Amino acid sequence: MQVRNTTARWGSVAQFLHWLIVALIIVQVILALRAENLHGMAKLAMLARHKSVGLTVLMLAVVRLSWRLINPTPILPSTLKPYERRLANFTHAALYALIFALPITGWIMTSARGFPVSWFNLFQLPDLVAKNRQLYETMQDTHEALAWTLGAVALLHLAGALKHHFVLKDSVLRRMLPFSKIP
Amino acid sequence: MNRHVRLARPVAALALLLIAGAAGAAVPTYALDAAKSKLEFSFVQAGAQNQGRFPKFAVGFSFADDNLATSHLEVTVDVAALDTGDQERDDTLREADLFNVAKFPQAHFGATQITKTAAGAYAASGSLVLRGVTRALQVPFTLKSATEQGKQVLYMTGKTVIRRLDFGVGQGDWKSTEWVGNEVTVSFNLRLVATG
Repeated sequence: MQVRNTTARWGSVAQFLHWLIVALIIVQVILALRAENLHGMAKLAMLARHKSVGLTVLMLAVVRLSWRLINPTPILPSTLKPYERRLANFTHAALYALIFALPITGWIMTSARGFPVSWFNLFQLPDLVAKNRQLYETMQDTHEALAWTLGAVALLHLAGALKHHFVLKDSVLRRMLPFSKIP
Repeated sequence: MNRHVRLARPVAALALLLIAGAAGAAVPTYALDAAKSKLEFSFVQAGAQNQGRFPKFAVGFSFADDNLATSHLEVTVDVAALDTGDQERDDTLREADLFNVAKFPQAHFGATQITKTAAGAYAASGSLVLRGVTRALQVPFTLKSATEQGKQVLYMTGKTVIRRLDFGVGQGDWKSTEWVGNEVTVSFNLRLVATG
């Protein structure tokens, strides 16, 4: 399996980044939901992990976008209708935007709350903004709204992938799967 | 017991009182200028440095550089008034498993000895009572004196590191130092005005 992308399929690096980010986003949702019902030390620990994983997603998003820009991008099947093409492009753009926007709003949120962040207790990151209760509350709402948006767009993305595989019977889903045979 | 011994005791006691009195009079006392003084602490939470302060505390200080034996430092901190800039965190800190302010609203440091370590630098040795636990503590500090509006003023600055778990600040889950570090740096910046 090749490392770089071709116009026919995603290479191993792009696939690895895609699925790793998927896995981390699922972890993020679990950590965030669990933190809501906790308090004290348990909440602190859960949120600290959520922040560390979120920062990891942000770093991976930078790597992923950079890798995409210096690689060919697999092209969409020519059989797609213009609106389908637009929908696919919009969905992909939104997903890229969200994997940046969610960590960044989370980081602004914790800075505004006055809680500096570290990456897995290894090193401390700078605060993005000064402490500001109003901004914290706005960012909390924004972060949550973006999380729901990500959920909705990801479902659309998943539905599209499944349609390609089961209805259109093309290689669009398989070309993001590591063990599939595509020329 | 003979007559001399019987007499010698009250005489000696009187002499001691006089010496102590004379020495005491030679050591000026200072009052805290609370508005221009700070008592702060910093700690590691989830791998990041966080700050807090004790906005309410009292200081008793009598000091003469040439009479350290009679100099005295005493600090009483209203722990319940702690402020880390976050209501939720402050409430958690006041709970029974951490500072337990319902039972131990105050902390107290009393120096039994002040020694000079360098020009303008001293160390106050004594004990800190925090959350009902008493432990020996040495607090280094520096003094800078000034005359402001005809009054003798001392600026006292210093910091010391204490381990919260030595004082039981952290029961149950909070005994773990994974998310909240054991070491807490306490720093102070005080303005002390001579009272006479």
